[in-house]
Amino acid sequence: MARRRSGSRPDQLRVRARQQAAVADLGQRALAGAPLAELIDTAAATSACELGTDYASVLELTDEGSGLLVRAATGFPPGALGTVLSAEPDQLPGYALRSNVAVVTPDFAGEERFRPSEVQQAAGVVSAMAAPIGARGRHFGVIAVHALQPHHFSADDAHFLTAVANVLSAAAERARHEEALRESEAGFRELADTAPVMLWTTDTDGLVTFVNEGWLSWTGTRFEDELGASWTLGVHPDDQALVLGSWDQRLAAREPWELEYRLCTHTGDYRWVVDRGVPRYEGGAFVGYVGAAVDIHERKTMEGQLLAIYEREHDIAATLQRSLLPQRLPRIEGLELAARYLPAARGASIGGDWYDALERPDGRVALVVGDVVGHGLRAAATMGQLRNAFRAYGLVEDSPAEVVARLNRLVTIGVEEAMATVLYLVLDRETGEVAYACAGHPPPLVLAPDGPRFLEGGRSVPVGAADPVVFRESRERLEPGSTLLLYTDGLVERRDVPLGERLDELAEAARGPEVDLETLCDRLLAAVLGDAKPSDDVALLAVRPLAAGADQISVSLPAEPESLTGLRRRLSRFLHAAGASEIEAYEITLAICEAAGNAIEHAYGPGDATFDVEAALADGELAATVRDRGNWRERRSEHRGRGLRIIEGLMDEVDVASEDGGTVVKMRRRLEAARAA
Amino acid sequence: MTSPAEIAVVREGGAIVAHVTGDVDMTNAAHLRDELLSSIPNDALALVIDLVRCRYLDSAAIEVLFDLARRLGRRRQALRLVVPKGSPLTRVLELTEVGSAAPIFETLDQALAQ
Repeated sequence: MARRRSGSRPDQLRVRARQQAAVADLGQRALAGAPLAELIDTAAATSACELGTDYASVLELTDEGSGLLVRAATGFPPGALGTVLSAEPDQLPGYALRSNVAVVTPDFAGEERFRPSEVQQAAGVVSAMAAPIGARGRHFGVIAVHALQPHHFSADDAHFLTAVANVLSAAAERARHEEALRESEAGFRELADTAPVMLWTTDTDGLVTFVNEGWLSWTGTRFEDELGASWTLGVHPDDQALVLGSWDQRLAAREPWELEYRLCTHTGDYRWVVDRGVPRYEGGAFVGYVGAAVDIHERKTMEGQLLAIYEREHDIAATLQRSLLPQRLPRIEGLELAARYLPAARGASIGGDWYDALERPDGRVALVVGDVVGHGLRAAATMGQLRNAFRAYGLVEDSPAEVVARLNRLVTIGVEEAMATVLYLVLDRETGEVAYACAGHPPPLVLAPDGPRFLEGGRSVPVGAADPVVFRESRERLEPGSTLLLYTDGLVERRDVPLGERLDELAEAARGPEVDLETLCDRLLAAVLGDAKPSDDVALLAVRPLAAGADQISVSLPAEPESLTGLRRRLSRFLHAAGASEIEAYEITLAICEAAGNAIEHAYGPGDATFDVEAALADGELAATVRDRGNWRERRSEHRGRGLRIIEGLMDEVDVASEDGGTVVKMRRRLEAARAA
Repeated sequence: MTSPAEIAVVREGGAIVAHVTGDVDMTNAAHLRDELLSSIPNDALALVIDLVRCRYLDSAAIEVLFDLARRLGRRRQALRLVVPKGSPLTRVLELTEVGSAAPIFETLDQALAQ
């Protein structure tokens, strides 16, 4: 054993460089991931070599911290390895741990701080240096060099040993983490294999590194089969693109992934699973995904069946709803009408909204908008019944409150329990007078020339809500040029916004330059609903009395006897307004209606056909034309012959001609008032 | 939409009086005829149709008047009409010569006095 002692400076520098190189080499090995045991052996050997000592050793604190296990013993007899030494500070190793720096004893003979360890004593060690491995409180152990002669250790030597201890400390720390990780990984896998879910992990490229026993038994595959990218082979062909697409996208962004898809089971059937994966990080570095899949087949298929049932009912209800609404609104002389019906979005339920318009025998127009409480087929069917009832009552009852009261009676004594909100309104086109009853319904909106306002009167509870109930009606006069908007609450009701605000919004949206009603309806729906499909049905009816054309009538009517009643009212009103006497009004009306009657009876078979009536007053003379598309010149019945005789007898001039495959009757009569003038 | 008309039938001695209110046209004329025929017992001598409050008659309604007159005539029962002076219906009834089948009186009393 050479006692290496050099006082010359170049030697000192050379020794220092060698020691640094030795530490660097050890550090490289540690960074390269060399096992801790190997590093410990190397550290001991290197230290003995570089410091020129006979022995070197590495001691590791035992778990309870009371002893030091000899992990490496360079130069010592074989029996030293594995010995557990005292960690008490009355011996050098324990003292080194407490002092937290390298401790040197040139000669144990003169040492008062501590004694040599048993191993040192047995080996005949005279001089030693020891350094703690690891920081205080987290010591791994001690590294020491020993000489059988008195030995001088320089400050450089102490630095060197401390540096070696630091490398070992870092390596030991890492080894401890790896061990903990291995334990947790093993624990995870054990847990995973017994868990009733299908677990998996991937690497950073998204390739599967592990699946648990649950996955394997569910899919019937082998562990090796599932590793890498091949797990997607079990995904249903129809779902593969979706699964791969969403997985790649989430993986690239390192975001959590969740998807429901069909996966092949061990029996070869596909079942629905929901699969969730989250990115995993270790020390801030992304290391892959960990995920779990759960069999949701029963829930999913039940959902599917329910959804199919709901969608089917939704579609039937929507069809029924549409079939019950007027295919097109009636053409009513002197009135512009437009309507919209938007069924609720698929997934939501069809309600029982409806609207209707009809001309009453007294010449006023009855308008109704209603909303049956409830959804689906039954609501749509109830809506159909109520609509028919309104058509019937609307014709015979003058008072809106009475119409609504009758409806209430019908509903409350009926077999079908039903409740509906209803706005029923009767409009006089000539005077702009409206009478209305509002049974639990949102108020109609009037767009008057000076701005929008709601008709807030005539309020009562919904139809069917109670019996008996007092139904009220209110009367108002619309300013000329006003437009009336009737609607159901689907247009204005949203859960998150108070109704008052929605009404304000509607009124605001309705403001603006006067446009035709079709445009107005579109504008309102766009403004209030936006692009969203409504969550509830929406019915909207817009009505605008046209400026009274006092000097002419032009109307196209269905070729059916019922058209005559309305035509008669209209002609009668027109003639009175034109200054005709009562007798003149009757006779001219009769003449025109006889011509119309011929058109209805002889011009057509059953089906949708129309005839046109025009009447105009010019220079005190009434000129009227009735035009159809059939030929009724032959006198097929005696009373039709009388009809023509009546026309000829009551009018000053009559001309019956065939024109374009139809018959045109032109009539003129000078009014008495004009004759007298 | 059929035209609104109401008939009130009252027995006045040997005659049946039918007060017709409203409009009679091709939509309800046949119904009017059936109602009147079924309300005349065999022992009645005459049917008096009171048109004082009738506002509208068209050719179909006039056809019904001729038909009624024919049917009642076979049963030896008379049909009489009441149309007040100045009624808008007057000229139409003249044009169609309804009076030839059913005599026209200006008041109900005159019609019943026959």
